[in-house]
Amino acid sequence: MSVLTEHAVVQDIIVLAKPALFNIYFALASIPIGFPLAMLLALGKNSRSAFIAYPARLYIYAFRGSPLFIQFFMVYSIMLAFNISHWKPMGIDHVVLHPLFLGPLVLILNTAAYAAEIFAGAMKAVPKSQIEAAHAVGMSRWQTFRSVIWPNTLRLAWPAYTNEMVFLFHATAIVYFTLPVINEQKDLMNKAGELFERDYNVFLHFSVAGLYFLVISIAIFALCGVVQRRLNRHLALASNDGANAIKPIKFNPGYLR
Amino acid sequence: MIEATSSLVLQWFGEDAAFWFDYLTNGKHMAWYASVRFTLFAAVFGAICAVVFGLLGAAARRSGFVPLALIGRVYITMIRGIPDVLFFLFFPLAFEQAVEFFMARQHCPEALATVTGWPPCDAAQWFLTTTDYLLLASVSLGIVYGSFAANVIHGAMDAVPESQLEAARAYGFSERAVFWRFRVRQMWVYALPGLSNVWMLLLKATSFLSLLQIADIVLWAERLGAPNYIARVGLVHPDWRWKYYLVLFLFFILMTYLSEQLFNRLQARASRGMALNN
Repeated sequence: MSVLTEHAVVQDIIVLAKPALFNIYFALASIPIGFPLAMLLALGKNSRSAFIAYPARLYIYAFRGSPLFIQFFMVYSIMLAFNISHWKPMGIDHVVLHPLFLGPLVLILNTAAYAAEIFAGAMKAVPKSQIEAAHAVGMSRWQTFRSVIWPNTLRLAWPAYTNEMVFLFHATAIVYFTLPVINEQKDLMNKAGELFERDYNVFLHFSVAGLYFLVISIAIFALCGVVQRRLNRHLALASNDGANAIKPIKFNPGYLR
Repeated sequence: MIEATSSLVLQWFGEDAAFWFDYLTNGKHMAWYASVRFTLFAAVFGAICAVVFGLLGAAARRSGFVPLALIGRVYITMIRGIPDVLFFLFFPLAFEQAVEFFMARQHCPEALATVTGWPPCDAAQWFLTTTDYLLLASVSLGIVYGSFAANVIHGAMDAVPESQLEAARAYGFSERAVFWRFRVRQMWVYALPGLSNVWMLLLKATSFLSLLQIADIVLWAERLGAPNYIARVGLVHPDWRWKYYLVLFLFFILMTYLSEQLFNRLQARASRGMALNN
């Protein structure tokens, strides 16, 4: 047993386990808030009113068109600029300027834009005939959205959104390149860099950090695959009866991210 | 020339404008503007590397030789599991150490055998210049985004109409000639939208250059925006970093917009006479 734990790779895996939790935290804190925000932005982008559509488009374009690295620096420095005038008097400066708050904040702003682009595209791909059918049976606008547009959007966008979630998880790697590191609150890249500076073994430490990212990415893909099957469970049944199989509607965005 | 323009600004727009003009054209700001060359070089050279690696990766993926196809498959899927910034930092460091390993083998093989720290001896230390780091960073970007490009190119190769390739075979072209002269020649127009997306990602990733100690636009923005105190003058300006980062934010959006326009033109030009939407 001790032979195993003394092995350099195993030791690295043990040392990097806690830092991995920080990456997981950043992703888990961002996705549940980023998701509804992205849906709202997607609705805004496809809105018929120019007053709603234009700002939503602008926001999505700006946050998709600029590096997350810069967004981190920008939001952090803006928050710092408000510190003396706002956060300090309100007594919330130690919360608002904390990386565990700022990290998810910027990631939410970023992922909302990317996911909104996906959802807006998927929303447009929902077959018109289904919406017309909903109107024909007398559904209200809200009912149509609730029971026709939204489930279909989610179903169509899910593979692309899975990718987005994995990319978001990867993006957590740059949080601590831009925000202050407090004591032992270090993420994978940070800790791997620290270990590297100790013995200059770039292959070992970065590979183990990469392994953590790889394993968690695969876990996200697997988990999302289960959700995907659940979302499409009625289609799987329908496609069993050969000639009458329903042709699945598809949404293939021409971009990776 | 800056002095002449400065006096013109003073004449036409008054003292305030002249002050701001002088401020925005002082030595540090000129260095900031000049450092855009690093970003642009890394983007362009990185993109060239990415297309080359992408082409090789896609070719390997389609190879009939199983180990090569496996390498291609791993290369294409690796980026799905590992963050780009990890590769971006890993490759230059690993390359540097590999070079130093060979230097140590030449200069001090005895120190290499009992190695405790790195580099094993002073003679085996490779001091990288900014240019070296820039080249390494570009190749690094090329490897990471070559993986994306390989995925795009692999898909585009499938989109080439099979009948064209059959026609080529019927004329007696070898399999290799069919691949390079027909499949690769014809796939660009299908790959262009995907490659445009890869270019945007790569352009955004050039903001990481400062992580390799290259004095690029991000590092200069940090330096220029930090609270500026000169004993003789007092506080020149408080913390203005957010203003400089805001400029960078807008700069990258502008670059994205310009690239988008360029790729739209390119797509229109490349698809002349092609029936793409059938």
